[in-house]
Amino acid sequence: MWTLPRLQTLLASLLTAVFLLWLIVPFAMALLWSLVDPGTPWSYPDILPPALSFERWTLMWETTTLSTAMFNSYTLAPVAAVTAIVLAAPTAYAFARIDFPGKAAAQIVTLTPLVLPGFVTAVFFASILVSFGVYSRYGAILLGHVVLFIPYAVRILTVSFAQVNQEVINAARDLGASGWGVFRAAFWPVLKPGVLASFLIVFILSIEEFALAFIVGSPSFTTIPTILFSYLGYDFIRPNAAVVALILVVPNVLLMLVLERLLQSANPANVSGKG
Amino acid sequence: MPGIDIEGVAMRFGQVDALKDVSLRVPEGAFVTLLGPSGCGKTTLLNIIAGFLAPTRGRVLFDGQDVTGLRPEARDTAMCFQSYALFPHLSVQENIAFGPRQKRLERAETARRVTGLMEQLGLAPHAAKLPNALSGGQQQRVALARALAVAPGVVLFDEPLSNLDAKLRDQVRTEIRDLQRRVGFTAVYVTHDQAEALAMSDTVFLLNGGVIEQSGGPRDIYFRPRTRFAADFIGAANLHDGPISGGAMDTPFGPVPVDAPDAAHRTLCWRPEVVRLTEAGALSGKVAHVAFQGGWLDLFVTAGGQTLRLQVSGTHDIPEGATIRFDIPREAVVVLKDGANA
Repeated sequence: MWTLPRLQTLLASLLTAVFLLWLIVPFAMALLWSLVDPGTPWSYPDILPPALSFERWTLMWETTTLSTAMFNSYTLAPVAAVTAIVLAAPTAYAFARIDFPGKAAAQIVTLTPLVLPGFVTAVFFASILVSFGVYSRYGAILLGHVVLFIPYAVRILTVSFAQVNQEVINAARDLGASGWGVFRAAFWPVLKPGVLASFLIVFILSIEEFALAFIVGSPSFTTIPTILFSYLGYDFIRPNAAVVALILVVPNVLLMLVLERLLQSANPANVSGKG
Repeated sequence: MPGIDIEGVAMRFGQVDALKDVSLRVPEGAFVTLLGPSGCGKTTLLNIIAGFLAPTRGRVLFDGQDVTGLRPEARDTAMCFQSYALFPHLSVQENIAFGPRQKRLERAETARRVTGLMEQLGLAPHAAKLPNALSGGQQQRVALARALAVAPGVVLFDEPLSNLDAKLRDQVRTEIRDLQRRVGFTAVYVTHDQAEALAMSDTVFLLNGGVIEQSGGPRDIYFRPRTRFAADFIGAANLHDGPISGGAMDTPFGPVPVDAPDAAHRTLCWRPEVVRLTEAGALSGKVAHVAFQGGWLDLFVTAGGQTLRLQVSGTHDIPEGATIRFDIPREAVVVLKDGANA
């Protein structure tokens, strides 16, 4: 008999299976391709590579600037994330908790960077920076990423700031808390999930950003995506691209899992009132 | 434990006058309520006393000291909020200890206060729980304990019982009043519930449209309303319009006695429960509807197209359609101030 709960279980497991396949197949393919032995190529009739080795990995590490690119990417991303959050916070606070004329317009304006194609921004950003006298590639890309991704932080933090209960703020002040004390007691517990989420999103977007890093940085300054794209160009070498792709993806997944755990433990704060 | 003086306080939000020239005095150690419908300005006034709002005009004095410019953290007040406003990430114990810790009280003294308050309010078994693991009544007690932990001279209550069910409300109401007498603080209590105001207060301030409509002891404000609004908002009232002559007003029910000089147009008011059913009564009417309420009986009596509401003991058994005779004691009838032009 098809009872409803059984049907639901079936559908749920089917859906899970599809999603797993969707995620795992490309992942597994990338892993396999990255392990193909350079001496024995993987070609049409073979279902699996004939020989596996870590030679592609060592080759990529030794012959390219991958280590520099990784250093660049993994220092740019957290710094861009923290800077974006710090700069977005006052705007988000104002959007969420202060009424001022032109608020609706201001909110739309802050979101416009999201609708511009990355290349368009990148091309003009590069020339603006030069005319401002910013020649540091690192600084330029950092600034670019902050500008590009601040809207996400503003958006997320606006929601967080709006959730802070005014009565809890008043209670903290009433009981003698200083400015910092009020922030810790009334704001931070509610803001924390939003701050972590903003960090995660800006971090990942920055790690994966290509257009600006390429236009501003190339050829001398590399990030992981610009290296990756160099293997997708005229001399497309799939195993090498697979190595870089994995390097790009794995830390993101790990970071996401860690932050997800943090978010869960950070949230006793389903702010209650009525009971 | 300071006394509070409000002098000519007005508050304007944009185009709206939330308070217009309110003055009142709360004696040291008294329990007063600010009673009124929503939008009457009572919560605004409470927030001005707490220091969350700065009045547009007027002064707030604690024991004669002007505190109008003082920030909330510098005032000798603690507030119990309508939503309780507990810190959701802190345990019951930490919530209560929050105030003393912010005020850098000695550790031993903080612990002593926290334990004492948890003991008094029956929160000891829940010390380590987070607020969202507690029932509404328990959260209310934590909020109360947290406010009392800073040993405030004034405790401000913003409709603290409105989220509780009726039975719990009665219980917590009694607890608050007990605690106030035992601990000793000046209490300002905001509510829209007239029963709460009458049961708890030394003095009731009835607010309407940003002004004090009437103030006085619970009995005074209930039995001697001065305006139509006061008569209407606090309990049920019977009103008669007409001329007074020879110490009575002629109504379709008969002459209603009143202790007032002759006048062409006045409004009289009396409460439903002052009525006395008696065969020799000077007034009479037909019982249109009876509602048995257990302890009492609500009678709706008509005559000449008007309806009166009478309240008599539940032990009476009066059928609908009967004609009854009754008396109203002269001293229970008041002349309303705004009757003539109403």
